[in-house]
Amino acid sequence: MRLLTRRATLAACLALAAAPRAGFAASGSGPAIGAAAPDFALPDQDGTLRRLSEFRGKTVVLEWTNHDCPFVRKHYNSGNMQALQTLAKERGIVWLSMASSPEGEQGFVTGGQARELTESRKANPTAVLLDPRSVASRAYNATVTPHMFVIDGQGMLRYMGAIDSVRSSRVEDVARAEPWLRDAMIAVAEGRTPAQAVTQPYGCVVKYYGA
Amino acid sequence: MLRSLTLLALLLAPALAAAVETAPVTSPRATVTVVSGVEAVAPGQPFRIALRQRLAPGWHTYWTNPGDAGQPPEVSFTLPEGAAASPLAFPTPDRIPYGPLVNFGYENEVLFPVTVTPPATLRPGDTFTVEASGAWLVCEKICIPEEGVFRLDLPVADVARPAAATVEMMRAAEAALPRPSPFQVSLGFDGARGAIAVAGDAFVPGAVREAFFFPADWGVLDHAAPQAMAVRGGVLTLALARGHAAVPASVEGLVAITDAAGVRSAYLVAAAPGAVPSMPAVPVAPALPLWQAILFAVLGGLILNLMPCVFPILAMKAMAIARLSGAEKGEVRGHAAAYTAGVVLSFLALGGGLVALKGAGLAVGWGFQFTSPVFVAALAWLMLAVGLNLSGVYAVGGPIGIGHGAASQGGKAGAFFTGTLAVLVATPCTAPFMAAAIGAAFAMPAAATLAVFAALGVGMALPYTLLGIAPGLARHLPRPGAWMQRLRQGLAFPMYAAGVWLVWVLAQQGGADAVLFVLGGAVLLGFGLWALGQAQGVAGRGRRIGQGLAAAAVIAAIALLPRVDVPRPATTVASVSSLPDAEPWSPERVAALRAEGRPVFVNMTAAWCITCKVNERVALGTDAVQRAFAARNVAVLVGDWTRGDAAISALLQQHQRDGVPLYLYYPAGGGAPALLPQILTEGIVLEAIGASTSPVAGATRGSST
Repeated sequence: MRLLTRRATLAACLALAAAPRAGFAASGSGPAIGAAAPDFALPDQDGTLRRLSEFRGKTVVLEWTNHDCPFVRKHYNSGNMQALQTLAKERGIVWLSMASSPEGEQGFVTGGQARELTESRKANPTAVLLDPRSVASRAYNATVTPHMFVIDGQGMLRYMGAIDSVRSSRVEDVARAEPWLRDAMIAVAEGRTPAQAVTQPYGCVVKYYGA
Repeated sequence: MLRSLTLLALLLAPALAAAVETAPVTSPRATVTVVSGVEAVAPGQPFRIALRQRLAPGWHTYWTNPGDAGQPPEVSFTLPEGAAASPLAFPTPDRIPYGPLVNFGYENEVLFPVTVTPPATLRPGDTFTVEASGAWLVCEKICIPEEGVFRLDLPVADVARPAAATVEMMRAAEAALPRPSPFQVSLGFDGARGAIAVAGDAFVPGAVREAFFFPADWGVLDHAAPQAMAVRGGVLTLALARGHAAVPASVEGLVAITDAAGVRSAYLVAAAPGAVPSMPAVPVAPALPLWQAILFAVLGGLILNLMPCVFPILAMKAMAIARLSGAEKGEVRGHAAAYTAGVVLSFLALGGGLVALKGAGLAVGWGFQFTSPVFVAALAWLMLAVGLNLSGVYAVGGPIGIGHGAASQGGKAGAFFTGTLAVLVATPCTAPFMAAAIGAAFAMPAAATLAVFAALGVGMALPYTLLGIAPGLARHLPRPGAWMQRLRQGLAFPMYAAGVWLVWVLAQQGGADAVLFVLGGAVLLGFGLWALGQAQGVAGRGRRIGQGLAAAAVIAAIALLPRVDVPRPATTVASVSSLPDAEPWSPERVAALRAEGRPVFVNMTAAWCITCKVNERVALGTDAVQRAFAARNVAVLVGDWTRGDAAISALLQQHQRDGVPLYLYYPAGGGAPALLPQILTEGIVLEAIGASTSPVAGATRGSST
């Protein structure tokens, strides 16, 4: 009997001890659909510090990017990405391109280079944010470029995954793909739930700081 | 006409034989070809080809579920009218970590086999052309999509001819594919956590070095999360962490298991999610910071004092405290310090041992010492010796000397060794509760591991350390008196019970013979300690005789110890092998059978070898293989390496193998034996014994239809 009581006490102790760890593990596995999207503060192409929270009230699209990645180039060379950015602007959707490569890694850009790329590619994002320390990449568990996220006006994550359904780097596949990101951002902007909340992203591996 | 065609084919054969591999598509990252397992195809007879990728160091390609990033290669075939090709078969992938991400894929060299079925309308002398167009993503830190086209022209003959140039490569490729699972699988999730349980009688502690569940669908699991493993009672359990995608109605994937001998093989599994299989251990937290690991270790050590299997030791510590009643403050401090030192140093010794073993490349489970029969037997005897001491059969001034001059140095040594013993017995208890801290410690450098172990010791000794810091507490302990004698004698029984439990453990490991030796040794030890006790009561010659008898009995008992580890006598091969009509292996028997002109199949196995058992189940024991053995009058010889064997070890060495399984096929009529892969399929065995002209006829049941 006494032993049983001891075991019960023991179990209680262990449950308490395990609790903070569970929290620790959950925070490591990235964002979740329907939960608050992690906030961040990153410099944009002009050096201005931008926060996700400053866009509260608007739908926000995050686009992880690396200008030399063949999968990113597929969507810029075809004009698909620019078209989506322009559509976003028309619908009052904020579009943040996340340049995620650390300094010294392929894909790293300075603010000036980011401005040049935007100009030369006729891109139309609200801002290009520089994340060479992988702060936002880690918070969002971003895996590839392009990895896309849609956040609603309340700051809740509504979509994460691929830009479209055809997992290739061939420009000619853009036309036949289902435009998952486009559908999701319009749905969120119109207050609807995207048909698919999570899809498998495709592209080049995100380069992490210190990896 | 036919003859001239055959002649033509024969003339062309040498030229064509070289073309079992296509021209390569080459980049600085990868050299990619299509290879054929046959140098001539037969009408209507399926054969195997493969996409072969040789990758530059640091570069990798992907499994069907690429993990966090990447994508698998794709190939489309253009074949003559009436021919068909199966989808690519994907070998078991590796985990390829990059920063916080983990991808599933391949490095160095990988082959993706495909079964091609030519039409039955082909005629010998025709050429069968396979054209393939492929696209693959090859990544290091950056990813490059590559593509290429391939063309194989294979002559058509009456019977297919395996290609000598690629037979080894194709055999290895077949062996690298996951096989159907002979195990019972269940799986479930509860929120973000879950587990998969794989049941099979070969899953005993120590039989599995490493295991990982690769989910077939992207996003079902958190790809980067480590999967804590527990192997107990015929069940292998892996802790799983959920990913972002929905759970499908049937969760499919493959379980890759590296056995104790380091052989890795994978099994295709599928299970409808149900109740979460219970995980014997707390899942290991990823990257638990050192201070947290130490905190948990202290807490865990503290809890150990309450654990049921430390109960006998608890009893000893109760005695130690009882003994301190009424003692001077300095004494109490001294004892507390000695006990703490004993506990902490023992944990450090265990930690050091584990670090050394880990360094030696052995993945050991906590509680590893319980897998050694010698250790278990010695511990059982130690329990008996302590019990007899408590019962009053003999007295010692040193270790565990109870009621003997608490003020003496021996008393402090006693406190020290009590601490040592407490640790030794408490280790199996730590497994379920300390998995997190120890798991974290194992991912750390050696110094951190030792710190965690020391913290475990500090936690365990904490109550007694407190007694040392505030000796005033000792005043509240009960006064010594006659009750101490009764308590002491009563406490002998938990010791005996612990001894019984250890003998039961030994019975599992060593069978009836081991029990005989350990109990025989116990009688000798009991006699020796009784003689010692008698000698302690007298002086002079009687004392020396008693001591002499005691020493002789203890030495005799210790001499028995190695016998405990003697393998269970394998009177029949049935104890390690499920194959019918198998005989025990010996070099002489091989020679005798070969002299009779019979082909011989040698199967070197061990009771703990999971790979061996699965091979018998899915390849050697199947009807097709057994029929082929019977048809060819193949003698099957089984060698049992369960407890090692010098002759078998020599044979293993001769074939550059460190362990079992080892499969050799000695063809009839002499000649060198063929060495088969460690992972077998029906097709590999049939091909090796010449029962199949195609390397795959048996291995691809139905996949090409």
